[in-house]
Amino acid sequence: MIGMEFFLGFAAILFAIGLYGILSSKRGLVTLMSIELMLNAANINFITFASYSGSASGQVFVIMTIAVAAAEVAVGIALMLNAYKLNKTTEVDDLSTMRW
Amino acid sequence: MMGFVDFAWLVPLVPALCFVIVGLLGHKTPEKGGYIAIFGALFAFVMSALVAYDYYTSDAYKLGEAIIIGPIEWLNIGGLSINFGVYIDSLACIMMLFASFISTLIFVYSLGYMHDQGEKKRRYYAEVSLFLTGMLGLAVSSNFLEMFVFWEVMGLCSYLLIGFWSFKHHEGDDASDNAASAAKKAFLVTRAGDVCLMAGLFVLLYAFGSLDYDYIFSNAQTVYANNPTLINIGILLMFGGVIGKSAQFPLHDWLPDAMAGPTTVSALIHAATMVKAGVYLVARSYPLFVTSSDAMLFVAIIGGVTAIYTASMALNNMNIKRVLAYSTLSQLGYMILALGAGGYLISIGMQEGNQALITLGTMGYAAGILHMINHAFFKALLFLCSGSVIHATGTEDMRKMGGLRKSMPITAYTMLIGSLSIAGIPIFSGFWSKDLVLEAAFAPFHDGLGMGSVFCVLFILGMITAFMTAFYMFRMWFLTFMGEPRGHCHGESPKTMTVPLMILGVFAAFIGLIVLVNFSYFIIQSLAPGLGGALADLGLYLGFHDSMHILEEIFTNVWTYVAIVLAVAGIAIAYMMYVKKPYIADNFDQTKKGFLYRLVANRYYFPQLYNQISWKLGYGVAKGVDIIDRNVIDGTVNGLSNAVVGSGEGLSQVQTGYVRDYAAYVVIGVLVTIAVIVLMVCYGGGF
Repeated sequence: MIGMEFFLGFAAILFAIGLYGILSSKRGLVTLMSIELMLNAANINFITFASYSGSASGQVFVIMTIAVAAAEVAVGIALMLNAYKLNKTTEVDDLSTMRW
Repeated sequence: MMGFVDFAWLVPLVPALCFVIVGLLGHKTPEKGGYIAIFGALFAFVMSALVAYDYYTSDAYKLGEAIIIGPIEWLNIGGLSINFGVYIDSLACIMMLFASFISTLIFVYSLGYMHDQGEKKRRYYAEVSLFLTGMLGLAVSSNFLEMFVFWEVMGLCSYLLIGFWSFKHHEGDDASDNAASAAKKAFLVTRAGDVCLMAGLFVLLYAFGSLDYDYIFSNAQTVYANNPTLINIGILLMFGGVIGKSAQFPLHDWLPDAMAGPTTVSALIHAATMVKAGVYLVARSYPLFVTSSDAMLFVAIIGGVTAIYTASMALNNMNIKRVLAYSTLSQLGYMILALGAGGYLISIGMQEGNQALITLGTMGYAAGILHMINHAFFKALLFLCSGSVIHATGTEDMRKMGGLRKSMPITAYTMLIGSLSIAGIPIFSGFWSKDLVLEAAFAPFHDGLGMGSVFCVLFILGMITAFMTAFYMFRMWFLTFMGEPRGHCHGESPKTMTVPLMILGVFAAFIGLIVLVNFSYFIIQSLAPGLGGALADLGLYLGFHDSMHILEEIFTNVWTYVAIVLAVAGIAIAYMMYVKKPYIADNFDQTKKGFLYRLVANRYYFPQLYNQISWKLGYGVAKGVDIIDRNVIDGTVNGLSNAVVGSGEGLSQVQTGYVRDYAAYVVIGVLVTIAVIVLMVCYGGGF
């Protein structure tokens, strides 16, 4: 049986990639994708713990998370489209009017 | 049975109502409310006469008690209750009687004097009614706070009336040019005294737990014995109020400036109200004041110094009203001197158990009160006469008068009566009381008490003052009425003015004769409610000199004759200087005189001193306060708001608008949280 630490390490790497993507990329769509990566890293953790502890509640949460993530992506894409219609760009650094 | 005494509260109330009526509706009545004001004063006089008669025939008078009506509880704070009531004793009766009587005459006189003032008359009559209310209320008050309220009412009215001709008016010389600032001066200088008085009342309230006259007077000796220093401070602070109100040295300087008001107002202030309030306060608080011989000594010294100091300023003044103002100051000094000397004698008498001293002391007290009554009459007369002169000549400068004897005989001869009276010529009223005053001042020295040398000096000052008084009064009379006319004159004043003059003339001449009918007993009875008990505890009693004894004392005392000779000499010198010598205008040019002359003419530079003090000290204090206000107070307020605004601005920099920055903050936050948790788990042994 593959050790738990491999799954957790994989999830951590995935999370770190997503975090790096958010922090480094200026593009809005990449940011959304990075968020998805981080969500999925969390999902992998849920599944791992669920599988190793023999409980189904982790898998139930993952299904919930996937549903929420789908809705979130729909909203996110819609925001990006509107931002593009207004500003002709999806670069997040150009969308900085909502400040002091 | 309800007597008139039970309605004594009507005495101040009716003039107060007149004030309201004249103030609101005066312009619709003839003479703009003049008749209403006269009615109020006349009513007050009739009522006070009835009250006085009622009191005189009552059992309370015979037993030496005051009649107290009410008292209604006014305030009740933390166990201290302040009452509002009416306190009738012989002193209150005397005060009410002469204040209302003289005010009635002054108001009648005002009909003529203020006739051409038009719409402003409404204001005038309303204010003088309120003034009278203040004085009558003061006279019948039953506790110190109630008295203080009326005291302040008078302060307000004096301000309003002195500033009646706000800036210039047709009769004024340079003195009256700026009545508004004279009014301010009067208000502020008396205020300095009033603050002292208020502080004194706080001390009394602290020491006695009450401000009611009867309580304080009957417990004065006990409380003094427990805490002499505190009561001494209280008495001296209260006397500070007297110094302000009765214009004693060194707060005397407002009174000459107060001449900027209409002459009738000067008469009211000097004769019937205002300055008499201070003397009244000393007389009223006598049972309290005599507990401290040191305080009484101080009172006497202030009185004696004021008497001579202010008399000297009258010697070369050219303004007819100013001369009278200085003479008022000097006579007030006499009253305070008599009260102080009498109180000192009573105080020492109580310490030593010496009945003779107490009897002498009560004579001093009676002398002060008698002089107050006499002064009220002759000073009202003199002021109204000077008003008549000013009315006819249109100037207050005596250099522009002269020879008015022929054109206005009634004024001239009534004023002569007033002058003879104040100069202390026998038979005229001023003679009796002035002689008693001097005798009271002489007594401590004569009887070889402690401080005898001080009283000897005060007595000599009083004698010199008597001489000066005779000189400056007749200098004024000769300059005004004798010699050749030096200006124009409209002739004698109308009847409304001359009739009050004649009535006052009769009183000024003969009111002093009341000493011959044991009037001093009536005066001294007002001490009985407070001092009677304390004296009885010591086995003493409130002795008094009956009229035969007073007569004997006056006419067997060599100093009486010295005083008469001095007065006659003063008149003679004035005659030599101002009638015999031809009038040369150059001699009256004040700028060409020696140092002493200019010193006196400039009022010993006291106004400048006041100005310097108020400029240097007041401005310095104001400057300091301003710096504190700007830097400390404003600094704190501005600093607080700056801190809030600044930190807000600083924090708002965090809101860059870059999504990645926010994400970074979240990450950093999470990392810090994790680090803290890990550290706590590792080193803290859990949460």
